Amino acid sequence: MVKLLVKILSALFIAISSAYAAPLITLSVDDVHSPLLDAKGIKASLTGPRASLLEITLGEITVQGKIWRNLRFSCHAFQFSGDLISCDDGVLRLSKSAPIPATFHYSSRDKTLDVKIQMTSGEASEGWRFSAHWGGAAWEGVLTVTNGQVTRIAELLPDKEREMLASANGKINGMAKLRGNAGGLANIEANFAVDGLAFSDVSGLHAGENISGEITAKAERQNRQPGNLWEWQADMTWPLGEIFWQPIYFTGQGHRLHVSGSLDDDIIRLLKGNLMLAGIGEADLSGVVDRSSNTLRDLDLRADNLELSALFSQVLKPFLENTSLTGLKAAGYAGIYLRYRNGASELLTLNLRDVSVEDERERFTFRGVNANVPWQARGVSAADISIRSSQLLRIPLGEFRIPLEINGQDLAISRMTIPVLDGEFTLENFRASRQAQDWHWQFSGGLSPVSMQKLTEALKSRPMHGTLSGTIPKVSYTGHTLEMEGALLFKVFDGTVELRNLMVLDPMGRAPSLVADLDMRNLDLDLLTGVFSFGNMQGRIDVAVHGLELFDWKPTKFDASVMSSPGNYPRRISQAAVQNISSLGGSGAAAAIQRSFLHIFEEFGYSKIGWSCSLRNGICHMGGIASEHPAQGYVIVKGWGIPAITVIGYNRNVDWWELINRLQRITQENVKPIFQ
Amino acid sequence: MRNSVSRLILLVILLSASFAGYTAADIEINTPAIAALKQSMQQRHGQLEPYYARGAVGLTRDGLIAMRDANALPLSARQPVNALIASENQDRNALYREIARANNHPEWEGDIRSTFGQRWIELARPGWWYEGAGGAWVRK
Repeated sequence: MVKLLVKILSALFIAISSAYAAPLITLSVDDVHSPLLDAKGIKASLTGPRASLLEITLGEITVQGKIWRNLRFSCHAFQFSGDLISCDDGVLRLSKSAPIPATFHYSSRDKTLDVKIQMTSGEASEGWRFSAHWGGAAWEGVLTVTNGQVTRIAELLPDKEREMLASANGKINGMAKLRGNAGGLANIEANFAVDGLAFSDVSGLHAGENISGEITAKAERQNRQPGNLWEWQADMTWPLGEIFWQPIYFTGQGHRLHVSGSLDDDIIRLLKGNLMLAGIGEADLSGVVDRSSNTLRDLDLRADNLELSALFSQVLKPFLENTSLTGLKAAGYAGIYLRYRNGASELLTLNLRDVSVEDERERFTFRGVNANVPWQARGVSAADISIRSSQLLRIPLGEFRIPLEINGQDLAISRMTIPVLDGEFTLENFRASRQAQDWHWQFSGGLSPVSMQKLTEALKSRPMHGTLSGTIPKVSYTGHTLEMEGALLFKVFDGTVELRNLMVLDPMGRAPSLVADLDMRNLDLDLLTGVFSFGNMQGRIDVAVHGLELFDWKPTKFDASVMSSPGNYPRRISQAAVQNISSLGGSGAAAAIQRSFLHIFEEFGYSKIGWSCSLRNGICHMGGIASEHPAQGYVIVKGWGIPAITVIGYNRNVDWWELINRLQRITQENVKPIFQ
Repeated sequence: MRNSVSRLILLVILLSASFAGYTAADIEINTPAIAALKQSMQQRHGQLEPYYARGAVGLTRDGLIAMRDANALPLSARQPVNALIASENQDRNALYREIARANNHPEWEGDIRSTFGQRWIELARPGWWYEGAGGAWVRK
């Protein structure tokens, strides 16, 4: 570069000297093309007394595809005498930048060139100096920067890059030594430190503030090798400052990067790289960048012992922000190995050691996760994942292994079992694949009997007896919808509960909605009313909840009915239960009872129970035993025997949440009814 | 101001009688799902309010919110505010879907969204930013 400059200057001044007698010299060139640069609209003029006023303007200059426009250099004290060319008060202007005072001295006798930009900005004096000297074919140049303003570099950047760094700020100090010979630049040694660096693009989504850091780099051209081969190495440290590169926010805490490699006309090769992220761990890197397309061609990345808690919160979590996994916390250690070849990932292996994952919304927790998950672009690989303990919706799960088969973007588990309390969940024929950014999966399985007592304990709900079991012919998840074919069967209160036609829309989203049909048969009322402290009832009931719709796990619509099961069994209802049933209907509901006799009896006989509720728009529309048609209201309990009692409801509509509140008051407070 | 979100939801429904010819009186807005979404949005509104006022977050025409000027926030707050915006938009999308669904007209979702979009903007405080008809940000 220096050599080129020398040649240009010499040529220019030969032209000037030949016309020295004339007061005005103007040189105008439309286009200059060279392998290094293209320039358009070049004008140079030398005017004034003793030709002391030099003006050079450049309409456009393109170097390696980067464009600068409207460059202008003017010098009012230009001197040219024999072997010395100098300018002590030059001004450089780059399109929109402020004028930059510049001086230069060129001595063909001493073979030196000295270019200086010296300014006082704020309290500190800012200086940029380039000194070069040469002898024979060899030359050496030194660039020294003292309190250099990063804004200055931003101003010197090509038009497009300058926009990116419009508000760059900070100071730079350091030195670069360049050595060359007949073959051009041969050696670079540089050390620069930045302090208080700030930058931001217009949107503010890529920005840094208060960044301090240091870079030391060396590069040397390998003359023994054919072609233009360089070997280089660089060390960078980042002790202070913050960067936001959407979506990642990272603070400097002593992170270090050491890289070394080679460079030729076609590629940049990273032979050895080591990235040390403070608080997270170290990664070794190597790779190749294709210079013609400016893309990463190959990469090997290996990290064995990453601290997962910091890695997750700083690097991985921001990518999960829009997903249902946004509230995750992870701890433990992770290892990763990535092999990337010819622009595509070939192999990715993930190792987890004693990892725990917790969902802040308490949907799940996994502890003691150890895993080796190999993935390869072609062919099938087998992952081994073991989980010591976990909780799913507060239900504890025992230790289990996941024999996962991975084939490209397809995942499969042929069979696995998960201990659930005293039972077991069996998963079979699990298949998952990623199609157009969405995951689709399906499985079949079954649940061997789980004690309802243990389950209700785990869920911290009222204790129930019986078992929960079921066969699941097929569950599939596609298009954000989870659908179950077949039925889940529970055995509770000595009866059966069957869940069918289950479909959950957006199950992992913020507002999941569920539709299902539920049929319960032959529930023992004695057990049921005992658990819910409702007042004792004896008998058996069938409950149907059809067209059930939940939104955010709260009911919005259903058609429910409760009726006595067919068959012979004792049918008795206590005073307390009668009163509670009556009070459920609110003030409008009343029991058609003969109050004067009621207090004599603890319990009554009945022949049938029937109650229905159609929930629409928050209102429960109620009815009673379908075959009974009293003059007013609807029959909920039809009396039979001695003493008998018939309960009639009059209120046909009740607010659903009011009804639930009443039910909760009754069952929680265990209110003892008072009869007078 | 916490109640303003639920008042606004109500207002939007009552004042907009333009859902494909249906009158406001026909609109069902009193479902547990809508109540849950309203509560969630009310809780978040207090956190979002200073960002609206500062111009960091603006109201879009499609009834959502967006980061208008991240430069108005410290670097460390930019991703948390992004997350807040994402959560709010999830709730808003669910709200429009649920209002349409609760009224047994899922096809109303687009109309409900655009009506809400206009009303959120009309009811925004002076100084807040919204997306104008041409797509550019406008200060109210």
